[in-house]
Amino acid sequence: MSILDIWLGILEGFRVTAGITIYGLLFAIPFGLVFGVAQYLATGFVRFVVTSVIEFWRSSAVIILLFVFYYALPVIGVTLSAMTVGAMVLGLNIGGYASQAVRAGLQALDRGQKEAGQALGLSRPTILLRIELPQALVAMSPTFINHIIQLVKATSLVSLITLTDMTFRAKEISQIAYEPVPIYLSLLMAYFVACYPIALFGRWVERRVNPVREARNGI
Amino acid sequence: MEFDPSFALSTVPTILSAIGMTLLVAACSCLGAAVIGFCLEITRRSGGVQGLAVRFLIDFIRATPVLVWLYCLYFILPYYGIRLDALTVGIAGLSIYFSGYLAEVFKAGIDAIAEGQQEAAKALGLGRLDRIIFVIAPQMLRNIAAPMGNYFVSILKATPYLAVLAVPEMLGQAFDIASETYRYAEPLMVAGIIFLSLALGISQGIKWLERRLLAPMSR
Repeated sequence: MSILDIWLGILEGFRVTAGITIYGLLFAIPFGLVFGVAQYLATGFVRFVVTSVIEFWRSSAVIILLFVFYYALPVIGVTLSAMTVGAMVLGLNIGGYASQAVRAGLQALDRGQKEAGQALGLSRPTILLRIELPQALVAMSPTFINHIIQLVKATSLVSLITLTDMTFRAKEISQIAYEPVPIYLSLLMAYFVACYPIALFGRWVERRVNPVREARNGI
Repeated sequence: MEFDPSFALSTVPTILSAIGMTLLVAACSCLGAAVIGFCLEITRRSGGVQGLAVRFLIDFIRATPVLVWLYCLYFILPYYGIRLDALTVGIAGLSIYFSGYLAEVFKAGIDAIAEGQQEAAKALGLGRLDRIIFVIAPQMLRNIAAPMGNYFVSILKATPYLAVLAVPEMLGQAFDIASETYRYAEPLMVAGIIFLSLALGISQGIKWLERRLLAPMSR
């Protein structure tokens, strides 16, 4: 089997890898935003509940979550496609991490921002949406881009729940031809080609968002 | 099929019996990742061709999934006649994957050490190795206790990946029960709960250690 055949074979799985990533972001972004803001605003019991939900998604081993939801949901009568289970579990896991970036971004803002909003007589939702969130989201964007890379890499796990992503295709090909070296090295390369541009973009954003820190590191 | 709590409870002892294996894998991988990561970071700092090569290697590791690293080692090494047991391969895979992340942590830790420390050590006539071991490393460790602890927890959460290589850690044990009884939901849920409590417990423990270790030193 030629290298080209191997590459084309792995590429056949790219649609699932990309699909799970985008579908997963549809879970990760709303979850991260809503729960990050909720953790920032809430107090007392509500905060405890919000934190528990975040910690469940963030602190569980994602591979186990994937299997649990894949095998356990049908038992309680919920039947979802493997694609949906994969995207949901990987997405909410990344969303849990993203929520911490949102909360940290909000907490890092100068108190004066909120106080100035209050002095101008703006309502709390307006202050949040028009003053706090825009600044926090810009500050957290490099972190969030890193989370997207983590999500792309985590999609390799869906090969374990029978979805034909790039990893699954590589395993299929290696069953046809015993050439593990080119096949698995190509698979590594395939993920690198998918993730590295995102990483470079993240560094570019980081320089734009945080020029001061970059300059200090440069010395 | 319905969820059977008493069956779930009956799987607890079998799954818990593998906790030693899980902790062994986690401990060895933490050590391996820290050693490899530190060597990578020191080489990256030394500049020159090898510095550039290592810089690329670190980026490469961080842009590829851990599952694919495990497959690579597991299937490629035997092709060259290197036969290692799954446990060793698994620990090696986790060590390599997380060394890329720890190298970045070490970088931040070393960057934060005052320039004068290096200069003073040079002025005192210490060799490069002495400077690294006695001047840089101890101060670096103090700077990075928190992020390094977080990655150790990440490594613990990545140990169930080894179930894919049939290493008998807790997830592998849960799958053994599942394939014997054809009941997946219960053992997987039990494994998930044990892992979640373990991860939460250890991260609390690390936070406590940090406070204990760092409090007397903070100026």
